[in-house]
Amino acid sequence: MTTVERTAPRLAGAAALLVLAGLCAISIFVGVGDVSPREAFSDPEALYLIAASRLPRTLAAILTGAGLAIAGLVMQTLARNRFVEPATAGTGQSAALGILIVTLLLPSASIATKTLVASLTALAGTSLFLAIAHRLPPTQPFLVPLFGLVYGGVVGAAVTFVAWHTDLLQFIEIWTHGEFSGVLRGRYELLWVSAAVLAVTWVFADRLTLMSLGRDVSVGLGLDYARMMQIGLAIISVVTALTVVIVGLVPFVGLVVPNMVSRLIGDNMRMLIPWVAGSGAALVLACDIIGRLLHFPYEIPVGTVLGVVGAASFLWLLLRRPSHA
Amino acid sequence: MLFSRIFAVLIALALPTAAIAETVQIQTAQGLATVPARPHRVAVFDMAALDTLHLLGVKPAGVPDRVFLPELKPAAAGGEVVGTLFEPNLEALSALDPDLIILGGRSSPKAKFTSRIAPTIDMTIDGQDLVRDAEARLDAYGRLFGREQAADEARQKFRAAVAAARDAAKGKGRALILMTNGPKISAFGVGSRFGWIHSTLGIEPAVTAMAAAIHGEAVSFEFVRKADPDWLIVVDRAVAIGTGDSQAHATLDNELVRDTKAWKRGQVIYLPAADLYIAGGGIQAMTRVLAAVTRGFSAAQ
Repeated sequence: MTTVERTAPRLAGAAALLVLAGLCAISIFVGVGDVSPREAFSDPEALYLIAASRLPRTLAAILTGAGLAIAGLVMQTLARNRFVEPATAGTGQSAALGILIVTLLLPSASIATKTLVASLTALAGTSLFLAIAHRLPPTQPFLVPLFGLVYGGVVGAAVTFVAWHTDLLQFIEIWTHGEFSGVLRGRYELLWVSAAVLAVTWVFADRLTLMSLGRDVSVGLGLDYARMMQIGLAIISVVTALTVVIVGLVPFVGLVVPNMVSRLIGDNMRMLIPWVAGSGAALVLACDIIGRLLHFPYEIPVGTVLGVVGAASFLWLLLRRPSHA
Repeated sequence: MLFSRIFAVLIALALPTAAIAETVQIQTAQGLATVPARPHRVAVFDMAALDTLHLLGVKPAGVPDRVFLPELKPAAAGGEVVGTLFEPNLEALSALDPDLIILGGRSSPKAKFTSRIAPTIDMTIDGQDLVRDAEARLDAYGRLFGREQAADEARQKFRAAVAAARDAAKGKGRALILMTNGPKISAFGVGSRFGWIHSTLGIEPAVTAMAAAIHGEAVSFEFVRKADPDWLIVVDRAVAIGTGDSQAHATLDNELVRDTKAWKRGQVIYLPAADLYIAGGGIQAMTRVLAAVTRGFSAAQ
């Protein structure tokens, strides 16, 4: 490998890190309370606001973005289809169903219990999706995302039906509209589990690359396919459930980010994972900053901003498709 | 003798026609409406209407399946279930054959369907001037059902409750109205559905520049801390829509809100959420809300 080939990706990596760092800095200084960059480190008031509110919110956005983008990447690998993501193909809806069940059966359950139950239902929902998706003819790649949309719609309808019958329809909205306005020190820390899941994904990166070659090839190359399937499912379910419980359903990140990044840098997971995680973090953080600024001093939910940004980028993705495929 | 006999015959002749033709003009959310006076069988799809009618001693013939407030159970008791709060069941309603259908707020979009079954009035109360609207509805129901005297008495008591709340809050400082929804909060200003708390009760708003969003604005806890109100007036949406215990206190009990004057002095008033959110504008429900305001402000050191 020549030095030029070595330095180009490194330069790109450094530039990307700079962008992320810049977004973090903006996020720290954007908010209702007075924190100016000049006094940030001398004024105790500003320091307090940063520690109690700005830093937790910034970290929550980063963890959510990185986690969801990776969950999307893993789901696309497992489904062997680029157009599925946890938020639309039933994982998020299954997690919401779990929250609904806990709310009905154990109204005073802690956040950790809610997360656990939501993770389990997300796991069940995603397993069923993948089991059916794998039976669809691989010659028709658009059947999988179509089925995913229908499946997510059916699970979502079940959530709506149960919520409607128990008069929790408006209550369940809390978890179906992702938002960071309630994030404070002490109210988001469970999201760090996403970081741990990210590390697990990194450990299994090469095996995930093999998986993307399909069952027969990967088994032929010595991969424990069933085992990897379980690990992948766990990654998707835990990250999605955590996000739904703590900030609510955040759409598009899992779909748009892995697609754009893999288009630019290829399909090697070892390379993809840091880029996908970083881009997901940057996208969600940027959208949250926009949501904080557009209607200042009030808030626009990050899910709403992402809906607009995500839809635009997805259209771009679809329209650009012919030139590459 | 002859004269009085003629008179009696005249009355006997006039009575049935009068009963059919007698109408009354009342103020509704859609303006003045002419409806048959003293209807016997009434279907009610509005919690505020149910509440005020109960106060006037009017028993509805048709009611929604759920009334959400335990206080409203007696008001709906004995009525036939003819749909939900949002959606009248047209078949059941048709079978009930009411003389009048009262819609409001959540059911008001269905007026064009129910008006095919019976005369329908939309008694929606939008909330910007809740006290005035509540009185206007009271007056309308009083005249509609011929209970003017009961309505007058109720109005006097209601005005006294408003005055008590206004006096209790006078000179006690600025307030911020918050609604908690799970872990998230929204702020409500003068132009919102809770705006009457500022305008009618004369409680000064902590944030004057609040946009006129009727459903409030999503805000962060930093917003609350910066506004630093003397009073927090809290409505828990989760409780209002019937999801059990109030979590408003847990949501607000964080280091940023604890920094406000309101929290430090314990000046946080939790309003009876369902009374305000579901039956807002009903005279009895409003009286309970006003009592909570009076109690809260009277407790100030």
